Amino acid sequence: MGLFTSGAWVFSPLLFALAGPCVVFAAPLAVTEIAPGIYIHAGVAEEASAGNDDAIANIGFIIGDAGVMVVDPGGSAVEGEKLREAIHAVTDRPIRYVVLTHVHPDHIFGAATFRADHAEFIGHARLPGALAQRGEYYIKTLHRALGDAAAGSEIVTPTHLVAAREAVDLGDREVEIRAHGPAHTDNDLTLFDRRTATLWLSDLLFVERIPAIDGSVVGWIEELEEMTHVVAQRAVPGHGPPVVAWPAAAEPELRYLRAVRDGTRLAIRENIDIAEAPRHVALEERGKWLLFDDYHARNVTTAYKELEWE
Amino acid sequence: MRLRSNLLAIAALLAASFAGAASAEPDEATRAARWADLRGQLFGDRVIEDGADLLALEAPDRAEDAAIVPVRIRIAGGLRRDIDRLYLVIDDNPSPLAGRFAFGPAADPSEIAIRVRVDDYTYLHAVAETKNRRLYAVARFIKAAGGCSAPAGKDQALAMQRLGQMKLTTMGSAHVGEPLQAHFLLSHPNSSGMQMDQVSRNYIRADFVRSVRVRYAGTPVLTLESDISISEDPSLTFAFVPNAPAGEIEVVVEDSSNRHFEQSWPVKIEPAT
Repeated sequence: MGLFTSGAWVFSPLLFALAGPCVVFAAPLAVTEIAPGIYIHAGVAEEASAGNDDAIANIGFIIGDAGVMVVDPGGSAVEGEKLREAIHAVTDRPIRYVVLTHVHPDHIFGAATFRADHAEFIGHARLPGALAQRGEYYIKTLHRALGDAAAGSEIVTPTHLVAAREAVDLGDREVEIRAHGPAHTDNDLTLFDRRTATLWLSDLLFVERIPAIDGSVVGWIEELEEMTHVVAQRAVPGHGPPVVAWPAAAEPELRYLRAVRDGTRLAIRENIDIAEAPRHVALEERGKWLLFDDYHARNVTTAYKELEWE
Repeated sequence: MRLRSNLLAIAALLAASFAGAASAEPDEATRAARWADLRGQLFGDRVIEDGADLLALEAPDRAEDAAIVPVRIRIAGGLRRDIDRLYLVIDDNPSPLAGRFAFGPAADPSEIAIRVRVDDYTYLHAVAETKNRRLYAVARFIKAAGGCSAPAGKDQALAMQRLGQMKLTTMGSAHVGEPLQAHFLLSHPNSSGMQMDQVSRNYIRADFVRSVRVRYAGTPVLTLESDISISEDPSLTFAFVPNAPAGEIEVVVEDSSNRHFEQSWPVKIEPAT
């Protein structure tokens, strides 16, 4: 499946994006129903820019009898509004939950839109700390990348924290939310919809786009290995096609992360300096991932900082 | 100490001068004026000679991660005998004097490597001061941005657990009278105090390393005085000359929260052949 959904794209020349109490008319985001009641918008494999409204991650929602759970409200207020319109286009059930799967801007900056729904904002127990550390910085970089298109994008702090596992009842279906140890970040959540056996991994799984290590390379491999034992009919990655086979989709990512881990350990043992290490580690992975040159050297630097303590 | 108040005074001076020039990319004249301000603060009107033959300043042209920029300063033969101190300045950082190194009798001042935060495209300056107070400088331009406001480490819980842990590795075998390179690593957030807590809307408290003192068998090797321009988990590569057949490297660290960490590592000296 390609990066662009097969859903119809509705473009309206009357698109406005306004912060504040004005009525917003936003063209709904194109979404694909990948399982009954589970809708995904696939992000583009690009860096955040005004041209894409930071709609670079896979986001979506789950509809139950008792209400809707948004999973990642999007990368900007603009995208959040479009997602909300997409929800209204398919259901009139109330939006009850907004899950912030982790601290990264492309997943959470659409959150403010959903305040109007009086939804519960769900995050990892470590998300508030991460927001405290990074929120200001992310707002600045969002404005730098998006310019005016960043207007209205705000940090929303979670109202409910998950420290281990919790099941959320959406009426006719239960969604299990799981808090992970440090992996992609130190505040990753994944979800499992029991009714359809859909595993929503968010950024624990990157497909086609190079994984970005911003937590722990050792921890990410451990979490991923454990998740491959979860029996699921399908999985939703944070980046890549809206739905993939599980656990097969984890293999390339595991291969990449292990190559970075093992190559960096070797570089450290051989006293190769942190500045040099990216030129020595996992070079065979180039050509297998989109945006490799934008992220690989930084991944190796991050892994180096983690592993030099071993 | 005079130097400490200087660091913050320079920061205040530059904060004021930056306030006006918000969006324009500085031109060479502006950059030169900035260096003139800084060198005036640090060295008054003392002459600073071109150090191109004596010093090499190595850094990436463009940093992969502005919060962890590796900088290496190499000092040529003649200067090694005479050098007393070394200053690393990151001109456009909020706190531009990234580090001041003072060499002791047990130092081999041939090379220093450190990881720094770079806040914006900027010149770096390395200034060597000899024992008879002569100054030599080299400059290098680097492209990086956001290093000082960049978010702290990847695993917050681990960072706090590990705070104060140190590692020291020596490279190669040690002989009395011969230089030996060592790499020192300290787990410390080195928080700049420039990040705002989104929840409380207060600034996250600055919490940074002020000094790292290295001795071998009781003889001073090196003292680094620094503040927020050093990266999280300060990393320092240096060389020393074991002057005794048995001894330990001792490192003492003090930080802005008045914490004190110290640790010693024995150095295995090979017998003379």
